[in-house]
Amino acid sequence: MAEKAILYDATRCTACRGCQAACKQWNENDELIPTEENGVKAANRGSYENPPDLSPRTWVKMEFRETDAGGAVRWLFSRRACMHCTEAACVKVCPSGALYHHELGFVAYDKDICTGCGYCIDACPFNVPRSDRNLITGIAKMDKCTFCTTPGLDRIAQGWEPACVKTCPPKALQYGDRNQLIAEGKKRVESLIARGWANANLYGEKELGGLHVMYVLDDHPAVYGLPVDPQISAATIAWQDVIQPVGWVVGGLTILGLGLNYLVARASANSDKEKKNAARS
Amino acid sequence: MPQEVEKYRKPTRILHWVHMVSFCLLFLTGLVLFIPGLGIIAQDSWTRVIHRIAAAIFIIAPLIYIPLNLKATAKGIKEAFSWGIEDIGWLKAAPRYYFLGDESDMPPQGAMNTGQKLWWLIVLVSSVVFTITGLIMWFAKTTASPAVLQWMVFLHDIAFIGASSMLLLHIYLGVIHPTMTEAWKAIYKGTVSVGYAKKHHAKWYEEVTRRKEVKS
Ligand code: HEM
Ligand code: SF4
Ligand code: SF4
Repeated sequence: MAEKAILYDATRCTACRGCQAACKQWNENDELIPTEENGVKAANRGSYENPPDLSPRTWVKMEFRETDAGGAVRWLFSRRACMHCTEAACVKVCPSGALYHHELGFVAYDKDICTGCGYCIDACPFNVPRSDRNLITGIAKMDKCTFCTTPGLDRIAQGWEPACVKTCPPKALQYGDRNQLIAEGKKRVESLIARGWANANLYGEKELGGLHVMYVLDDHPAVYGLPVDPQISAATIAWQDVIQPVGWVVGGLTILGLGLNYLVARASANSDKEKKNAARS
Repeated sequence: MPQEVEKYRKPTRILHWVHMVSFCLLFLTGLVLFIPGLGIIAQDSWTRVIHRIAAAIFIIAPLIYIPLNLKATAKGIKEAFSWGIEDIGWLKAAPRYYFLGDESDMPPQGAMNTGQKLWWLIVLVSSVVFTITGLIMWFAKTTASPAVLQWMVFLHDIAFIGASSMLLLHIYLGVIHPTMTEAWKAIYKGTVSVGYAKKHHAKWYEEVTRRKEVKS
């Protein structure tokens, strides 16, 4: 099946945070409004950003950045959520298969079988997965954007677009065939360049084998806080591609060797006994 | 009744079994995370809770044993690090001995033979590695950097592969191997027969008989 994706156009985004609200509403990730009755303290963090970070109940979050472009302040908005990587480090390290690739390409998640190990949290090059964790017992469950495929709340299986895309008033978010969205994104980048945005680019076409959330940007990805050339960490590779197979080989050879030893040693012990018995009689 | 010599004192035997049981629990609850196909067993964190309980026992047991048995501890640690020419002889003779039961080339062994010493050394080193890396993954999960935490899993796994394969060997030799008839008794009841002691740990037997009378 053709791969699906989300295209986010930072130049169209008004940072209304409708996507944030729609995501919470659809996925039942309620948040308390900070009031005294609710027991939640309001805080002024000197920014329009709210909540301050992704969390088990905040799977998408708008970021606000102020940059100094030759003396003129620019106010940049960008979307922070799971990028649904093709070479997904989280899928690589997840021991239970709770994280897996959906047939449409993005990274779906079966929360029921999550072990709470938190390996995905440390492996993700975009620092996306979150969990509430009891530091003594270790009990935890991870959460992240599921591309609206959470069992029971699966919009994709219904043929609908994700909730964030559905709600986006300026159509900064689009959902569709990945190939079509790449073509669409490239067209917009070209028109941005033609209008004088020399650094405009499409982020996510090639990164980590191709992301299923791509960005149309009018400036370098680093300006938007995105990692330039994200990679699966060396530790992930050393652990999954080296030490795992070594474990299989060492374990296998040990069991094989012991089995062999048992057969040979028992045979020679028996023949010794026979010799002794023969000598005695 | 054949004459018996004491091989392991009671506190040592208790420590051995407490450590053995907690190690096996740690092994099994670790294995389900290590083998991807088994990860589904670990859902809802319950194996990871057992891993932590067993880890606490694994760490605390020797911490209780050591101050109460300072002399035995010092002797044991010294033994793990004293290697000599006989050990090379043992390594050379081991294959013929363990496969064919041929002991003609086997040099006389102390309380621990070379193989046991090697295992004991692995236990010491891997326990330290397990404890340090495990405690970091446990308590610094939300504070240490992701890279550090990932390398801790890596080191934990190296200790796991080394110690667990040697554990299989250890259990096999103690319980299953046809010629190790009294190793099991030594750590279960604490004594071995004089005959077994002379045959398997001649140097050690000489020492104990020189030091004190054999109890019968
Ligand atoms: C000494 C104390 C130990 C502590 C504190 C400890 C702690 C941990 C922690 C925190 C984890 C990460 C997963 C999680 O959060 O549950 C882990 C994983 C693991 N532990 Fe331990 N552990 C200890 C000893 C052992 C021992 C003795 C073994 C094996 C014989 C073992 C085998 C494993 C394995 C195989 C994993 C999974 C690694 C992977 O997923 O690749 N651990 N341990
Ligand atoms: S962004 Fe992180 S959590 Fe999302 S698919 Fe990639 S590695 Fe996994
Ligand atoms: S925390 Fe859950 S989803 Fe993440 S790697 Fe562990 S089992 Fe997989």
